[in-house]
Amino acid sequence: MQVSKGDRIVIHGHRVGEPDRDAEVLEVQGADGGPPYLVRWGDSGHESLFFPGSDATVQHFEHRSQ
Amino acid sequence: MRSIEAIRRSGIGIGPERTIHDAAVVMEQTGVGSLVVIDDARIVGIVTDRDLVRRGLATGLPADARVDGVMSAPVVTLGADDDLHSAFALFRTHAVRRLAVVRDEQFVGMITVDDLLMDLAADLADLSRPITGEVLFGHHDSPVPATR
Repeated sequence: MQVSKGDRIVIHGHRVGEPDRDAEVLEVQGADGGPPYLVRWGDSGHESLFFPGSDATVQHFEHRSQ
Repeated sequence: MRSIEAIRRSGIGIGPERTIHDAAVVMEQTGVGSLVVIDDARIVGIVTDRDLVRRGLATGLPADARVDGVMSAPVVTLGADDDLHSAFALFRTHAVRRLAVVRDEQFVGMITVDDLLMDLAADLADLSRPITGEVLFGHHDSPVPATR
């Protein structure tokens, strides 16, 4: 999984009826662009480290240079 | 089967200086029951929802108490390339419900007793299928008649 700052990570629900959870990537902390990723969770705005598993997908967004 | 292949869900980490309120919110937001506590890229502990209740709420700690005040340490770890049977031995000897999987001393994910039990239950169901079929439906008659 290749992740960049600004990408959106989605964790898919594990149980029937469980909603997906999403977070914005704030920082890539691992070597060579790998995990962990510092993320901000959509609903609460809280931050945590994220180590992606098979239940996660990433949505890439174009990052325009200023 | 390597232990890394048994990881079913993403891992969530938090710093030791964060509050127990932060930990609770992150658990609720991410739908997990435990967070690894990471300091300077090293696993220093694990905090579970049970820890928050028993060591935090039950002892009257304030919501802004540090996570490292209620976490469990040291963490029982398993190598990412270790055989999954090693996990069974660790669960047996350490009486824990979660193992941190690491590669080059870096956290990769978590293996839980619940996940392994679900996998085993699915395997047992597959194995029992031909037996239950035979019990319920009996032997199928051979299409080729027996000859002397």
